[in-house]
Amino acid sequence: MPSDPIFQFSNVSLKIDAVSILKGLNFEVHKGEFLSVLGASGAGKSSLLRMFNALSSPTEGSIKFRGMNIEDDMEVLRKNVGILFQNPAVFSGSVKDNLLLAGRWDQNIAQTLDHELIRSLKQVGLNKIELQNKARDLSGGEQQRLALARTLLNHPQVLLLDEPTSNLDPKLSSSIMDLVNNLRENLSLTVVAVSHDHVLMRRYANRVIILSHGELIGEGSFESLDRDQVFEQAGLLDTEAADET
Amino acid sequence: MKPDFYVLTWNDVLVSLFFIAFSIFLIKKWKLGLEKTLLIGTLRTFVQLTLMGYVLTWFFDQQHWAFMLSLLIAMIFIASWEGTRRQKNNIPHFFAAMLISLLGAAILILGTILLFILDVEPWYSPYAAIPIGGMIIGNGLNSTSLTANRFMGELKHREGEIETLLALGATPKLAVYDAMKASIHAALIPNINGMMTVGLVQLPGVMTGQILAGIDPLIAVRYQIMIMYMWFTTATLANMIMLAIVYRQFFTNKMQLRRELLRNEA
Ligand SMILES: Nc1ncnc2c1ncn2[C@@H]1O[C@H](COP(=O)(O)OP(=O)(O)OP(=O)(O)O)[C@@H](O)[C@H]1O
Ligand SMILES: [Mg+2]
Repeated sequence: MPSDPIFQFSNVSLKIDAVSILKGLNFEVHKGEFLSVLGASGAGKSSLLRMFNALSSPTEGSIKFRGMNIEDDMEVLRKNVGILFQNPAVFSGSVKDNLLLAGRWDQNIAQTLDHELIRSLKQVGLNKIELQNKARDLSGGEQQRLALARTLLNHPQVLLLDEPTSNLDPKLSSSIMDLVNNLRENLSLTVVAVSHDHVLMRRYANRVIILSHGELIGEGSFESLDRDQVFEQAGLLDTEAADET
Repeated sequence: MKPDFYVLTWNDVLVSLFFIAFSIFLIKKWKLGLEKTLLIGTLRTFVQLTLMGYVLTWFFDQQHWAFMLSLLIAMIFIASWEGTRRQKNNIPHFFAAMLISLLGAAILILGTILLFILDVEPWYSPYAAIPIGGMIIGNGLNSTSLTANRFMGELKHREGEIETLLALGATPKLAVYDAMKASIHAALIPNINGMMTVGLVQLPGVMTGQILAGIDPLIAVRYQIMIMYMWFTTATLANMIMLAIVYRQFFTNKMQLRRELLRNEA
């Protein structure tokens, strides 16, 4: 188990209009691990994930990336930390336009050859999609996978996933998570995946953080958290009730 | 026979009140209940424009560069204030953005016209600087306030796209490029369309006025051509300066979109 911290969160809080969204979070993410952030709807998972690539800053506390203040070099941070949003933005235009978005400023990406793009689509299970297809004609799950392929073309060291399988059926969910996990093993990618599906995450995550109403109420392995019944506490076992809040 | 001038006397103006009387008759017939507002509007039109006539007469007697400069700057301040008032969204430093863009457009375009096109001698002669300056500032005001509103709409609509681009490593400028492009397009396309059809359907106001005042249509046409070009360039320049200032307000210096600005409406 690797133990080199790539992110260090110290006393991180987030307040929006005097409402506390995240409260005094302390934890680390280790290089090469698969960390899962679990919590009921509204627990603050997406708000937390946005801090890993500094799309938002904490209102209190500090975050370190590779030992330095996370905001010290935004260019390096954004290049190295990719994110797949909960509702990924797919741009009008073709599938190819979407894959090559970063080519607008990154020459390496602009020069990607078509067969490499097709390979990246296959990688996320988009076998039948042509580069010329209109991206917005794709189904929700296909758009999500297109967005994942687009993020992966940037060759990030860290991959942030926000409910990566929410639009996919169980079979596709597993295959996408298998892909992410393989990339993690082969490219020593670090994965931080937000989810409320602890059953799925059990199969992939080395470690888990549990959020409830903005507070970190559990951290560790699934076994230890099961023992302490933290999943019940976080409202994760009764998923239907959790989805309604 | 070509008349030199159609002189309109105060009596003639009184006769034109007949139009209002006729409107009131029609409004009453349909029971629209607009009579009172219309009477107030009629009175205000008369009083405001008459006063403006006296003010302009006084302005046109002033022959001093400092006077003209102060007047133009005052006009730009008033236009910027009006533009800020029209802005329903909460754009930080919008007054300053308006001020700088109108000032930039006025200096460049009014300056070029007075010094190099009309060769006005001296440049501060009120007969040229006031009407042309007024057109530039007024046109710049209308165009930039529309563009700013449209830009806000684009930002709200494209929030997810903008954050996606930032997350992929785009600078704020690259991340809002599509939004800026869409809003500038929306501002300039009606202008270009106007250039396509000008004279075919309707004569522009300035030209109509000049012809009524007895000026040779060919001269009036030349003025109008210059004015059309001037309008377009004013809109382009003022919008670009305004957006270059405004888009920055929506980002922190850490390349973060200030999403809170897209939520609260003033
Ligand atoms: N910009 C914002 N302004 C005000 N409140 C916000 C804002 N963003 C998030 N919140 C609030 O913060 C809380 C956490 O939101 P967040 O999106 O992080 O939850 P989540 O755990 O990702 O939920 P879900 O599983 O439904 O995606 C919610 O109560 C939400 O309403
Ligand atoms: Mg969420």
